[in-house]
Amino acid sequence: MEIARERGAGAAATGPRSEWIVRIGTGFPIRFAGLSILLVLAVITPGFTAAPSLLSLINTGSLIGCVAVGMTFITLSGNIMSFSLGATTGVAAIVCAALSGFGAVPALASAIAVAIVVSAAQGFIIGYFRANPIIVSIAALALIHGAAEFATGSKTIYAAENVLDFLKAKVGGIPLAGLVFLASVVVGQVIQSYTQFGQRVMMVGSNLRAAIAAGVQTWRTVTAVYALAGLFAGLAGILIAGRYGAGTMEYGEGYDYSAIAGVLVGGTAIAGGEGSVSRSFFGVVVIASVTVMLLLRGFETEYQYLFIGLIVLAAVLLQGRLRA
Amino acid sequence: MKPPLAPILEARAVAKSFGAVQALRDVSFAVAPGEVRGICGENGAGKSTLIKILTGVHQSDRGTIVIDGAERRIEGPLHAQALGIAFVSQELSIAPHLSVEDNIWLGHRDVPLLHRRRALRQRAREVLELVGLRHLAVDVRASTLSLGERQLLEIARMLVRNARVLILDEPTATLSDREIAQVFATLRRLKQQGRTIIFITHRLAEIFEICDSVTVLRNGYEVGSYATSEVDRTGLIEAMLGRPLEQMYPQAPSTAGGPALVVRDLHIPGSVRSLSFVVPQGCIACLVGQIGSGATEAVRALAGLVYTARGEASVGGRPLRFGSVPKALARNVRFVSEERAAEGVFLNLSVRENLLATQLDTLGAGGWMSRQRLTAAAGRLAGMVGIDGRRLRSRTRELSGGNQQKVAVGRSVTSHGTGVLLMNEPTRGVDVGARAEIYVLMRRLCNQGYAILMTSADIEEVVGMSDIVVTMYRGAKVAEYAGDAIDRTRVLSDIIQQQTAMAGTA
Repeated sequence: MEIARERGAGAAATGPRSEWIVRIGTGFPIRFAGLSILLVLAVITPGFTAAPSLLSLINTGSLIGCVAVGMTFITLSGNIMSFSLGATTGVAAIVCAALSGFGAVPALASAIAVAIVVSAAQGFIIGYFRANPIIVSIAALALIHGAAEFATGSKTIYAAENVLDFLKAKVGGIPLAGLVFLASVVVGQVIQSYTQFGQRVMMVGSNLRAAIAAGVQTWRTVTAVYALAGLFAGLAGILIAGRYGAGTMEYGEGYDYSAIAGVLVGGTAIAGGEGSVSRSFFGVVVIASVTVMLLLRGFETEYQYLFIGLIVLAAVLLQGRLRA
Repeated sequence: MKPPLAPILEARAVAKSFGAVQALRDVSFAVAPGEVRGICGENGAGKSTLIKILTGVHQSDRGTIVIDGAERRIEGPLHAQALGIAFVSQELSIAPHLSVEDNIWLGHRDVPLLHRRRALRQRAREVLELVGLRHLAVDVRASTLSLGERQLLEIARMLVRNARVLILDEPTATLSDREIAQVFATLRRLKQQGRTIIFITHRLAEIFEICDSVTVLRNGYEVGSYATSEVDRTGLIEAMLGRPLEQMYPQAPSTAGGPALVVRDLHIPGSVRSLSFVVPQGCIACLVGQIGSGATEAVRALAGLVYTARGEASVGGRPLRFGSVPKALARNVRFVSEERAAEGVFLNLSVRENLLATQLDTLGAGGWMSRQRLTAAAGRLAGMVGIDGRRLRSRTRELSGGNQQKVAVGRSVTSHGTGVLLMNEPTRGVDVGARAEIYVLMRRLCNQGYAILMTSADIEEVVGMSDIVVTMYRGAKVAEYAGDAIDRTRVLSDIIQQQTAMAGTA
């Protein structure tokens, strides 16, 4: 048992006391304790357990959740977060609505393809040129918005009638969106745990230089990470188009913030290389429940933003403290 | 050993535990003014904990600290400084964008708001002279200093704070021989002034070179304190290990095979010029040179990590392209980095993930990865390199330096019969026990058919391990020695180039 290493970076950073806090902080007990408190709060909130609230919870949570699955991979790969996934979702919704006249399959496929390409292009720039991921995503956000305004003339694009209605279907009483989210979590977790790609993502996120020295072609991994994030954001976009029967950039707004909040609350490390898709699932459940609870208790939307902002700050501060 | 003078700093039966782990058990220790005291022990022996207690980073659970005969409670690092105890950490705290003078005074409480005063500058010059940096202008940026100069500057910083006891944590680990000599000369000057130096190192030769006495710790116990004149190298190692040392360097078998690695005319702009050498199968070759000789860079180039490298190389007769790690891996050329934490291992990932990091493709077809195979393969590798199988799921960060290095080496062990293992500083920051294990492992890989190319700043390691030594100076090969012709003195004079009459291809 070595309690104190003699050399190397971080020797002082992992004092036994902080290790202990980390174990408590990321441990399951505290997460379940947090969830139980939330559950109690939810149940005593009037109307929370009523069907409309639960449906709203599932719908909201699923859209955030799909984006969060993609965001998790970005965070795990050491690229912190993307500010453009919400816009990517909006674009996917617009493409889906615009092409719905050609039938559901071409519309859905094109929406996903556009989302993947838009996101993967950023991944290539970040991975190949080692560009700052935050700046790239902000630039991409502006570019996507500009291009979408130009293409749509700032108008809402309405879908052809009834083509996308099947997206509002329920299977066994559960909205399709919820099932898509669940499937995304499962697929995401399988990719993370059971593929060589998933392992490379953890390597790149944990230590980029060591990944290069270990023979990982990091630009490929990073590009693939962003392509994957685009895919999940695209799924969210399709669900939005189905829900509203239309697409506009406004629909995507704020999803990236809620998603990163879910990722961080779930306990994925902002520095990368640590965390998981399933943790983000928990995080998203928390964020969505809080959002619905706030609505039921009569708070306006701006309070949700306030609250999510506070949660993100708290999560970042807590992680910083655990590392210090 | 009783110090001749009244001790300036004393720890009496100091104990410290972290959770269930007893890091220090009743360690007592006293240093006299003007004494240079070495502290050695394997990783985890308690050296760091002891130092952290002396410098106020940790508070001891039991026992007392006595300074100048008076019992003291050290509240924290600043309090320790005020009491005259200064710590020079291995990760230097120099601010590279500030001037030398500003670095010296940075954070000093006597500095007034408008601080460009003549007296401060004069005092800065004095301490610079004391540490042998007289030639340095006080307004030059610290980023222009060499590593050795930065180490000395760090010492100067502590001197303006009137440090009477200087604690140095492996000050020589990243320095070249010439810089080490410079640091040692400074330490001797400080000693003459009556200052006390506590010196932590893994390099035993340095203990005998600079220290008057040495304290050995093991598993949190104090094994003993000895005058360096009373103890020899073997005795010291055995005290650290707690068992007799059979042999540090395993016997080299006499079975060199055909050429495994052939390098011809390797050029790296700015660091290596037309370097050629051959490493036969089953042999350990070592590129030796100081910082700036290009030895490290040459090995990195063969690993595929230097994009500007030009020249020819072949492995087992098949050409090796530079500038691509995957291509190097395809020839089973594997690399153990000199910067373990920054490039060698993934500290946040588990031991098993680290062990298989370069062999993911063996864990499943079509991009899949079987966790079962991962665990099985990692268990096999851990067994081969001597890592406790119960630690496979531990985070690599929690391992000692020696075990981390075994993980880094373990990653290079494959079922391939042949290959090339590139190792920069294979035992940097590795304690004696793990070091011997790594040497055995290197020889075992050679017997399996690997060729090893390494670099090392530890001349004993070079002489002890190498079958072939290539000496380098400023980017060019000086000479090549094999077998019995490898001689410590010749190697040293080659790489320092104090004599001009050297054979060489420069």
